[in-house]
This record gives sequence, structure tokens and C-alpha cells, in this order.
Amino acid sequence: MTLSTDASALSTAMPPENASVEDAQRPKDYLPGDFNMWVFVLGDMIIFAIYFIIFMVERTRDRTLFLASQQHLYQTIGLINTLVLLTSSWCMARAVRATRSGNSVQALRLVIGAAFCGIAFIAIKVVEWSLEIHHGYTLPRNDFFTFYFMLTGVHLFHVVMGLVILGVVVRELRNPDLRRVSMVEAGATYWHMVDLLWIVLFALIYVMR
Amino acid sequence: MTVISTPATPTKAVDAQKYRRPGKLDQWICFWSVPIFFTLFGLIFVALTRVMPPPSPNLTTTQVLYFFHHHALTIKIGFTMLMVVVGFASWTNGLVATHMKRMSVGSVWAYGYIAALAVGAIPGCIFAAFAFLTAVFRPDRNPHVMVLLYDMGLLMFIGSLGCFAAQYLIFALAILLDKNKIFPKWLAYVTIWQVVTEGLAAPVFIFKHGPFAWNGAISFWQGTAIFVFWQVCLLYLLHRAIKDQPLGEAVQDI
Amino acid sequence: MLRDRLTWVWAALSAITTLSWWLARTAHDNGHFVASTPVTIGILAIGFVKARLILQAFMEVRTSPKWLRLFCDMWLLVFWGAVLGIYLYQ
Repeated sequence: MTLSTDASALSTAMPPENASVEDAQRPKDYLPGDFNMWVFVLGDMIIFAIYFIIFMVERTRDRTLFLASQQHLYQTIGLINTLVLLTSSWCMARAVRATRSGNSVQALRLVIGAAFCGIAFIAIKVVEWSLEIHHGYTLPRNDFFTFYFMLTGVHLFHVVMGLVILGVVVRELRNPDLRRVSMVEAGATYWHMVDLLWIVLFALIYVMR
Repeated sequence: MTVISTPATPTKAVDAQKYRRPGKLDQWICFWSVPIFFTLFGLIFVALTRVMPPPSPNLTTTQVLYFFHHHALTIKIGFTMLMVVVGFASWTNGLVATHMKRMSVGSVWAYGYIAALAVGAIPGCIFAAFAFLTAVFRPDRNPHVMVLLYDMGLLMFIGSLGCFAAQYLIFALAILLDKNKIFPKWLAYVTIWQVVTEGLAAPVFIFKHGPFAWNGAISFWQGTAIFVFWQVCLLYLLHRAIKDQPLGEAVQDI
Repeated sequence: MLRDRLTWVWAALSAITTLSWWLARTAHDNGHFVASTPVTIGILAIGFVKARLILQAFMEVRTSPKWLRLFCDMWLLVFWGAVLGIYLYQ
């Protein structure tokens, strides 16, 4: 794998103004963002995969308990939060495209939109947690709720980190001297990963039977 | 750090350069102390005192007494050795801090890094060892006190999270903000994983079994695997940072 | 906007998310959740498709270097395969 330096060089070499909108016209084998961010994202995907697999193994040990506990989750709140994150990802993907075509005003608007969805996600999550805790379903309640709070908690930490990254993207987009396509792309790569991990979490913790 | 003397004559200058050339010898001594002390730490924690991988939090009083009885000698040897060598860990941290001071961020980041580690090591390493040493010092002690020392020792060893999480966060942010490219940015992200694993070990204070107990798959095993990966990356990149450091580079001291 | 690929992907993702939420609701007995292998397999399949769509379309893995495409597909197969395997293992 000969990737590190040429990959990051390619991403910064991409001119924002003339860059094409269409996938097909992008240089083939184009690594969006920067290599460092991909190290983080791919590593995080492996780490989370292991958390989820440990969850699955624990689940098979006591299926009845896990199923009965799922009953006390707010399935619809989970669905709404998934839709919020998907919308957020959609904004961010369009922000990348707007940045490539040099439309930084629209890009800025879309990144802020994505960040607002992220804030909404956190607010909804806090409401959901409070409802669970209010009804006595706290972290030590049973194995399922330990996983529920730990996994959604570590995901929420990633959402907060994502908001920090989006904040940096907004700052750079506002300043014409700092504006870089690779920065917006790297932020988007991270933000989509947060979405991806939530998709897995939703499937395994909320809806699987 | 790097001392460059002004030679008296040009010919002597060549000689002087030849013999005094390294200028980094101090750093290399420091660097190579790391594998030596890590080997010692491994020997102490894994082979001698048996706290890595940690014994179960779910033992009965009899089993705890048996654990201390069975490992009394190796605990004494191991943790006494630790008392002698534990300070050398700060040598490595000093080396990392030196390179943090070369970053474009202020020295306060390096001081924060050292301070967080120094405070974290007191419960996480030293108190844990004292708890075990105290337990084996008088094996005929009241069994409940033995269980207390067992729990305290291991909770402090695995459960000292906050200072280490802060240390990792300081290091990660320093790398991300640094404009001198002392370390590649991906090391910052790998360091953030460490913050996350410290957070996921927080439930060790609640559970006696399962993946979140102090010997659990998530709290201990995955955290340790990521720590080893991080440490290998850090050593490799530290080696590169020392090698690439220009001789006579001025290091800020603000 | 209707001719926009990203918008279609977003709409599809939202639709199948709602579908998996609805599927989960079908597995009950007088309001009590019951285990259901077909429902779970359906939900895991939807999860796989969603994860791949996000990687391919949003994260632009589709047009990325070969090593990344390979890594992501391997991750998808190994991870979702392991989840399904553990679920089916009795």
C-alpha cells in the first residue's frame, strides 16, 4: 500500500474553483479529505465493530433479557434520531459538493445545517436518556442497559467531537485564506462515519429481535 | 537541550563536530530507556504480580486469600522492583514533552501532559502496588481487610482514568494544533481512541462480571490492545521526531 | 434537486430506515416483543445496505483508491457476517 504521502498531496492539490461536480469527472481513485482522517475513521470502524460484536456475544447469552429490555427503549425516538443524522449527512455531502464548485456561501449554509442536525440529535438523545432514567432504567439496571448507555454514550462523544470538527470547517469556510476543499472533505468523512456507526447501533440495539 | 560549542579554530571545529556530532545523545539515551523499562514493567505486571491480565473482581474471600497466598513472593519481588524503577517512566514522558515543546503550541501543553501523567501514576501505579504489598506484608490479617486491599489495588490500577484521559486529550489537541509538524496528525486521532477507551473503562466501579468489569473484554482487553498499538506508534514516531530534529534548533520556553 | 443522486440516496436511506422500524414492530405478541429470525435478518440486511450506501455515496468510497474500496467492503462483509453468524448461533 503506497498511499500516505501521495494521497494527502492529491487531496490538497485539488483546485476548488475548477473542480467538477460530478463523480465521474473527479479524478479516478480520488481519496477525499486527508489520509490522517481516514486512519481515524477506518480505525474507529474496527474499534466499534469489536464493541458491537462483544454486544452480540453478550446478547446470545441472555436473549430473553435483551429482548425484554429492548421493549423499554423508545423505538420511535430512535427512528427520529436516525432520520436526523441521515439528513445531517445529506447536508454535509452537499456542502462538499458546493465547496468543490466554489460556492462557499452555500457550503457554509449546508455545514451549519448539518451542525444544527447534530445539535438536535444530542438534544433528542438527552430527552431519551432522561426518560429512561426517570423510569428506572439506569446503566447498572442490567447488561442490556449497560450496553445501551455505554454505546450510545461513546457515540454521543463522537457526535460532540464531530461538532467541534464542523466548527473548524465553518471557521475555515468563512475565511477565504483558509478555505480548503480537503478540510471540508475530511470533516464530511468524519461526520458520515458518525452517521454510519449510528446506523449499526440503531439496527443492533433498537430494532433487531 | 542541544549544546553547540563555539570552536577555537577551524580545524578543531571539524574534530569537534566529529566527536560532539550527536548533540542528540541525551535524547537517544532517554529513548532507549523506554524499551528497557517497558520490558521491566511487563515482567512486573504480567509475569510477577499477576495484575495483568487482572484477576476476576468476582472472587470469594477464600479465593482472594488464596490469590495473595499463592502469589505472595512474586508480588513482593515484582512490586518492590516497581518501587525502584517506576520513576523512570517519567523519563519517557519528559522525552515526549520535549518534542511537545518543539511544537508551535505553547509549552503549557507539555507541562499539562507531564502533570496529568504524574498525578495519574500515583493511584494508577504506586498506590495499587502499595495495596498489594500491604496485603502480602501480613498474610494473617483479617480476611475482609485482605479483600479490601485486593479491591482497592485493582480498582486503582484499572480505574484511574481521568488524569490519563486528560493527558491523551492534551497530547491529541497539541498535535492537531501544531504547525511545526513534529508528529503526523494521525497520531492525534489514534490518541483520541485512547480517550474513548479510558471513558469506556469507567463502569469498572459498578460491575463484578461481564465486558465492563475490570477484567472485561471492553474495559480491559480492548483498552489494552489499543494502548499497545498507540504505544508502538508513539515510539516509532518519537524515534522519527528525534532523528528529524535539526541540530541546534531553538526550542521556545514560554 | 430531484435529479440529484445524493438526494435520492438520502431518500432511500430514510425510507429503508423507516421500513426496518416498521419491520421490528411486526415482531410482537400482544405488545410484547418476541424473537423473530426473519425480521432480524431483514433488519440486518437493511443495515448492511444502509452502511454500504453511506460509505459509497456519502463518503465517496465508490470513486476512491482501490485499497479503500477493498477495505470498506471487507469491513462490511466481515462485520455484518459476524453479527448474523452470532445471531444465528444457538
